[in-house]
Amino acid sequence: MKKLQIDRFQKVLILIIVLYSIFVTIKNPSFFQIATLFDIIRTSSTTMIVAIGLLVVMLSGGIDVSFMSIALFGSYTAINLMISAGINNIFFAFGVSAAIGAVLGLINALLINWLKLPPFIITLGTQNLFHGVMTTFIGDKSFGAGVLPRCLSGFGRSSILNIGGSKLTASVIPVILVGILTWFILYRTMTGRGIVAIGNNEESARRAGFSPFRIRLFVYAYSGILAGIMGMLYVCQTNALYPNKLVGDELTVVAAVVIGGAKITGGMGKILGAVLGVAIIYLLNTTLIMIGLSSSWNDLFVGTILVISVAVTSYQERVRNRNHLIFTE
Amino acid sequence: MKRLKQFINHDLNLSILIGITAVVLLWSAVSFGTSMFSMRNFQSMAFQIPEFGFLALAMMLSNMIGGIDLSIIANANVVAIFTSYVLNGQWAAGTEGISRVLLALALAIVCSCLFGFFNGFLVSKTSAPPLIATLGTMTLFKGLGMALTGGSSVGGIIPEFAAVGKAIWFGVPVIFWIFLIVTVLLGFIMSKSGFGRKLYLYGTNATASRFSAIPNERICTLTFILTGLLSGIAGLIILSRVNSAKVGYGDSYLLQTMIVCVIGGIDPNGGRGTVWGVLIAVLLMQIMSSSFTIMSLSPYTKKLIWGFMLILVLGLNHLIKTYTNRRTLRLSMKGENQL
Repeated sequence: MKKLQIDRFQKVLILIIVLYSIFVTIKNPSFFQIATLFDIIRTSSTTMIVAIGLLVVMLSGGIDVSFMSIALFGSYTAINLMISAGINNIFFAFGVSAAIGAVLGLINALLINWLKLPPFIITLGTQNLFHGVMTTFIGDKSFGAGVLPRCLSGFGRSSILNIGGSKLTASVIPVILVGILTWFILYRTMTGRGIVAIGNNEESARRAGFSPFRIRLFVYAYSGILAGIMGMLYVCQTNALYPNKLVGDELTVVAAVVIGGAKITGGMGKILGAVLGVAIIYLLNTTLIMIGLSSSWNDLFVGTILVISVAVTSYQERVRNRNHLIFTE
Repeated sequence: MKRLKQFINHDLNLSILIGITAVVLLWSAVSFGTSMFSMRNFQSMAFQIPEFGFLALAMMLSNMIGGIDLSIIANANVVAIFTSYVLNGQWAAGTEGISRVLLALALAIVCSCLFGFFNGFLVSKTSAPPLIATLGTMTLFKGLGMALTGGSSVGGIIPEFAAVGKAIWFGVPVIFWIFLIVTVLLGFIMSKSGFGRKLYLYGTNATASRFSAIPNERICTLTFILTGLLSGIAGLIILSRVNSAKVGYGDSYLLQTMIVCVIGGIDPNGGRGTVWGVLIAVLLMQIMSSSFTIMSLSPYTKKLIWGFMLILVLGLNHLIKTYTNRRTLRLSMKGENQL
């Protein structure tokens, strides 16, 4: 049997999480219980999904900051459709939302492929474009708990595990499914190998027979699909729908994935790393109050971790490159 | 006629930009009449331009070296917060009146340069990609501001400083004069000085410039220090106009500065574009957002328009570039035939 591969970077992340948890437990023993863990899992489950989608994009050497807009677009449109047609089916909700996400993701991919400009700028444009299109042409009303299809809140409240009164939310099922599916795509299919290959070096990947255009289409569409699923999951959990939520939180997810060891220039990054990065951010989020700091300190800690991890990893690579006389700046 | 054609083709981007600005001005004159073309409206536009203009200049500099600086707005806000702490007497160290203003200005300049230097250090010394490095510093600066203020706004600054934001000199706001002077100065630095020339070369091809004995790391650090300084000035102007500072002011400026740079002919991949293009683009942007205000559009519609504009301009730039490349190729082929 093959051993589970964990590289040094992820070991450091796990070490940080463990040490920090011990520190919080000493300060405030009420942290150390299963309810806290389940709570962190519940709040971070939506972010985990988009973080995995973003990881796939970053593996291919791109970046996507429009996924929150896509999530909102997908869930808002799907729910509007369901309310007006009177459909009450959870699979229909997720399916429509994911399909819309896929279409919007394809638009991103086509624009990036046509303009050949940094994906950050293009997806920053489409982020605002999608949100604007949604609020202008589809609607900008908020929906409360009473109007939403009942199956959504039912799914949001259901649990799969109950230990001593604290429940593990059913939202982990989509997260785990997405994780397994992404692992399979990345490590067991040719497309997945192609994603890593064009992330490392697009020209060599092209000459090896991969089509960067087709892979880019797949990558952004996949990110869009995951964003659509995430949007619907978010609605299930909060049991309300606002036209101005989610958008604006993209950069936190980017930070989480980068903390998890993904390289923005592509070709490097692990699913476990992205999950750990999200876990660290949500751990800080929920525990700062427990150790006696207000939640406004959150950004300071996240920023510090991000700067240090970026500086260390980039510097190591620079030294390695210079030793091999590679000058990529 | 031929000379006009030559002039237009000399810098196609700039010519198109001037044309569009003229068309937009005409259109707004026809549809809004005196509510657009009045002394009062122009004055209020001149009050609004500088804070945004300085941020756009900062973004332009970071784009010129092929990078991007996401931290400019956080930088401006944190500098404004520091300055207002000095100006409202909490960090004043016993100074009063004009000396307190001078202390605040000195602190603001030192701080913004330090923030810029930190960015530059990360990018040049550790080779961190600018997007991620400045995402980190953006979160860090924001966190610094949040930890200091707890998210509330810091006000109560002394009136001597706030007066600067409202002062008018020869019918034009003082802050607009400052913006014009800095822009012209920056324009000359970029086009006439050795530093500017090296910056363009570094932005075009960093590896080539390293092997041409250009001190890459120093140029990069200096550029980010300048970026930091410009965003610090933007912070001071925001403070003098709004009379208070808080984290998260003007977050939507990020997209708009990006649009201005793209419209102004700056290549996000680095090495191309001029300060003059950005200056005209800033004016165009202000005319448009003023007309949106007159039309009283909702923030969602504005978002739609800005997003659409960014994509549209990128697409147009791409088409123009292919057209110019083809034309140059055709001309050079013709030249060979004649030989």
